[in-house]
Amino acid sequence: MKSITRRALAGLAGAAFLPAARAATSPAAPRVVIIGGGAGGATVARYLAMNDKPLDVTLIEPKQRFTTCFFSNLYLAGLRSFESLTHGYDALSDRYGIHVVHDRGAAIDPAAKTVRLEGGASLPYDRLVVAPGIAFKEGAIAGYDEAAMQIMPHAWMAGPQTRLLRSQLEAMPDGGVFVIAAPADPFRCPPGPYERASLVAAYFKQHKPRSKIQILDAKDTFFEQELFQDGWNRHYPGMIEWLPNQFIGAIESVDVKDRSIRTADQTFKADVANVIPPQIAASLAQQAGLAGETGWCPVDPATYESTRHPGIHLVGDAVSVGMMPKSAYVANSQAKACAFAIAAALTGAESVRPFLYNTCYTFLAPDDAVSDAISFRIASGKTEIAEILMSTLDQSPAQRAEAVREANGWYDAFTHDIFG
Amino acid sequence: MKRYRIALALALAGLIALPCAAAPADQGRGLAAACASCHRTDGHDSVIPSIAGLDESRIVHLMLVYRSTDQGSQIMHVVAGALSPEEIEAVAHFVAGHPSGTRP
Repeated sequence: MKSITRRALAGLAGAAFLPAARAATSPAAPRVVIIGGGAGGATVARYLAMNDKPLDVTLIEPKQRFTTCFFSNLYLAGLRSFESLTHGYDALSDRYGIHVVHDRGAAIDPAAKTVRLEGGASLPYDRLVVAPGIAFKEGAIAGYDEAAMQIMPHAWMAGPQTRLLRSQLEAMPDGGVFVIAAPADPFRCPPGPYERASLVAAYFKQHKPRSKIQILDAKDTFFEQELFQDGWNRHYPGMIEWLPNQFIGAIESVDVKDRSIRTADQTFKADVANVIPPQIAASLAQQAGLAGETGWCPVDPATYESTRHPGIHLVGDAVSVGMMPKSAYVANSQAKACAFAIAAALTGAESVRPFLYNTCYTFLAPDDAVSDAISFRIASGKTEIAEILMSTLDQSPAQRAEAVREANGWYDAFTHDIFG
Repeated sequence: MKRYRIALALALAGLIALPCAAAPADQGRGLAAACASCHRTDGHDSVIPSIAGLDESRIVHLMLVYRSTDQGSQIMHVVAGALSPEEIEAVAHFVAGHPSGTRP
């Protein structure tokens, strides 16, 4: 087994020792390097490490502990602790023998098949997996820069931003206005902005009942709209106002001085503002030429190998695959298809048909959750939706409460599947 | 065996179409990986039951029922609906052969 310890790896400063140390421990095993330790990248690492024939698996992730975006709206509403959303990499390194390196991918050389890390190390690979997540499109909303994010948080990458938004909501006086700016498709977690409005409304209902929520939407419709609007009418009548693009015009700029958001037609002043900007694949994917003109990365729908750079695979929110939503579940599902394809290519493991699904639990209130399930099929080189089922408006409160229980159980099982 | 009777009964009832191609045995591994997105594989139930080491014919039976109706679970209906009866057999065989703690 790979005897190099996580501690030993963490202590490495230079580049030279890393490949040598691995060569000494598993001389023949093909090397797979994975950049990004979220739902996509960590799942690829874990499933590769479980392959029958050994693979030398290295996972590059800057964060020591990873906080999930999914379920972070429950934290914003005070229904879940931040700690309960935070996961370490000890199981992946100790139980699965994955080399977890807390660094950031700086540059990829597809010809030499090496990745250079910010810390200076250069890692050779036989296959590379890039699971970098999202970046915000620069300049899409005028004035919304790094400094503005500290005043009007996005909280769309879980971590300090999520805590900042929670503290602002806690400090907001009763009767205040919470404004959410929601982006056009495609973006990470299609129901996310609306679930956020729902759960913050649940918090306001209990603690600041005179407060209001406005959603400024760059779209004219949104995912599970009927279910959300039914939930808002039942749980928080009059509290949430959804303002689609056709009424307010495009979201153009922010002004941090008075926490205002300007659209083509109006200006909205907030007590707490949550700006969720338009998104593209994270910068490493852009730099490495893995993204297309849309800003997202095209891949083979069965193997998740880049169509632009053979030998490099991509999974998760950064890729663009037919109608697949950008969700952690999809990232995890893609990751398995990708891991089996890499194992087949590198170790001769039997190739496995990809089984691609999405399921999603969405909270309308602390005791009212809905779910949707999608199966995908690959036809003529394209990923299509084979079947989609969603919760319906006529479900009983007991069924919705059961979905809340199931959702919490799902989080436990799902994060075990990712982080071990 | 019982599971064949169920499959046959469902097929005769027009609820499922039996595809001709058999699933390779190793498809079970890929399918069991899909299960693990919601079901723990280490014997711990997390509201959603663990599937580790479940009885093979029981899994086949339940999957065919889920496939035929969305009354039990919409999610399982969609999951099972994407699988052929042969793939259901393959995943049941794989899961039954991997009790808790073994690698999926």
